[in-house]
Amino acid sequence: MRYLLSHAVSEWAERTPDNLAIRFSGQSLTYQELELKSNSLAHTLLENGLQRGDRVGIFMNKGVESAIAIYGILKAGGAYVPLDPFAPASRVAFVIRDCGIQQLISKDAKLGALKDVLAEGTGLKIILGVSHDEELGLPTIQWEEIYRFPTNPLHLNLTEQDLAYILYTSGSTGVPKGIMHTHRSGLSFAEWAAATYNLTNQDRLSNHAPLHFDLSTLDFFAGAIAGACTVVIPEALTKFPANLARLIQDERITVWYSVPFALIQLMQRGNLAAHDLSSLRWILFAGEVFPTKHLRALMQMFPNVRFSNLYGPTETNVCTYYHVDELPEDTDETIPIGKACENIEDLVVDLDDKPVSFGEVGELLIRGGVVMKGYWGQAEKTAAGFFRRLQFDYFEDVFYRTGDLVQLDEQGYYRYLGRKDRQIKTRGYRVELDEIEVALLSHAGVDEAAVYPIPDGNGSNLIEAAIIAKEGLNLEEADLVEHIGKRLPSYAIPVRIEILITFPRTSTGKINRRELQALAVARSESQP
Amino acid sequence: MDRKTILMDYIKNEIMRNRNARLAEDEDLLGTGILDSLAILQMVAFIDEQFGIEVPDQDVVYENFNSVQALTEYLKQYPG
Repeated sequence: MRYLLSHAVSEWAERTPDNLAIRFSGQSLTYQELELKSNSLAHTLLENGLQRGDRVGIFMNKGVESAIAIYGILKAGGAYVPLDPFAPASRVAFVIRDCGIQQLISKDAKLGALKDVLAEGTGLKIILGVSHDEELGLPTIQWEEIYRFPTNPLHLNLTEQDLAYILYTSGSTGVPKGIMHTHRSGLSFAEWAAATYNLTNQDRLSNHAPLHFDLSTLDFFAGAIAGACTVVIPEALTKFPANLARLIQDERITVWYSVPFALIQLMQRGNLAAHDLSSLRWILFAGEVFPTKHLRALMQMFPNVRFSNLYGPTETNVCTYYHVDELPEDTDETIPIGKACENIEDLVVDLDDKPVSFGEVGELLIRGGVVMKGYWGQAEKTAAGFFRRLQFDYFEDVFYRTGDLVQLDEQGYYRYLGRKDRQIKTRGYRVELDEIEVALLSHAGVDEAAVYPIPDGNGSNLIEAAIIAKEGLNLEEADLVEHIGKRLPSYAIPVRIEILITFPRTSTGKINRRELQALAVARSESQP
Repeated sequence: MDRKTILMDYIKNEIMRNRNARLAEDEDLLGTGILDSLAILQMVAFIDEQFGIEVPDQDVVYENFNSVQALTEYLKQYPG
């Protein structure tokens, strides 16, 4: 019976011990090797005082050790907390302190960065995976020593309700919050994904996303459930579309999963024609809206590949999906986020938490095994994140409030309309910022668009926007204003549209609207 | 100034935003997170603007951008 995320690895270590579980930059781990090495790590963690539910940090550039760390921590009864290896030291230290991490798993290549993190104050007790270094001021255990610990399986009294991992996202206030997932919530999602995309032990899945981004849980856990091989892509290569194209070809990737941005880059700069990418059978994407014109171009390049749009906040893993079979030629309307995944109940409510009528706009609420346990150390925020529906006077159904506005279309698919909190007031009017982005994107010369509010100091907002124009195109702000003027009311036209070459991005590859906004605010303050 | 110095200065001033940053010629620009995807595109634009070299997409690869040394080496095929 599979009730822990690590069970999948142990199962396949028995069934197909010599099949590859992990590939990384020419290195590999078979299921047997992954099983034994993660057992050793689990013994190491327990020997050093790990208690059930303890949080263990993972702080390193990706490698085969990423998988060993994930499964070693889970097998020891701990919860893994992936730390962004490129985040500022103060942020890494904040997360370590926030969830009380005592044991951290790392690599020698991170020693310099580790010292900066420790200087911020962490409360760490031991660092695993690095050589001894006086300057750390902490005990260490090298990987070679870890691998000398016993390899026999552990028999701990764990349940599917145990904490498995915590993913930190930047909250709307800028203070990171830790989203807690259990073995159950992780498995509910991974088992759905393995079944829905017909994953088998012949598949080779890409792992493009960083570990601290929830897309990575599909790559590792759904891959392991299927007994497939997960090809972990070095962070450095994710920045180079031409390298990615070569990697898909050389590693014979069958299922690709990433944010749309990576796919758009791959299509535009990956020199795809020079590569044999015929191993691909599914392209999955999530995390952002995929602009329809780019998706159409991508689908034309891969006529034999199936495409699927996965939607869900980190709090629910994935909760709706849409298989993109065909795109109409005559419209750039964004594709739906689809229908609720199997074993998930969806509910759309109005501002008073009353269910809306069919086709009306409301907030999407989600109930089922995929939903998080809560936010680490934030009881109030957790309570506010859930909606409780009383059934039969004694039974409560608990839904997660996604904060996303959706609307059912005639085919019964959800359409994503934007964040509830991306609805702002300008000059007294209620405006959907995402709607303005869609209007900008509908201009043939616009590659990407971001719209953000600038507080005007009088309790209202001005709207500003930035776009990236198609390469080699000379776009003027006036062209754009004229274009969206035909689609939006005048109060929704941004007061300024900047034309940029690139956008700042978050560590997970999404457009960093907050930084664009901060730059715009700084500019408006410097020129009164 | 030679290309190497110009590139080093550009990375320090415009990408690391720290004139006094320590940066070795063979420093791993990707593994340390100094270059992200935005910075790579900025570098490509800068190389075009500064040296009049349009780096084709198929050459914008890890092997050519992983250090200042590698990049200077790659650019040698374009006469200065």
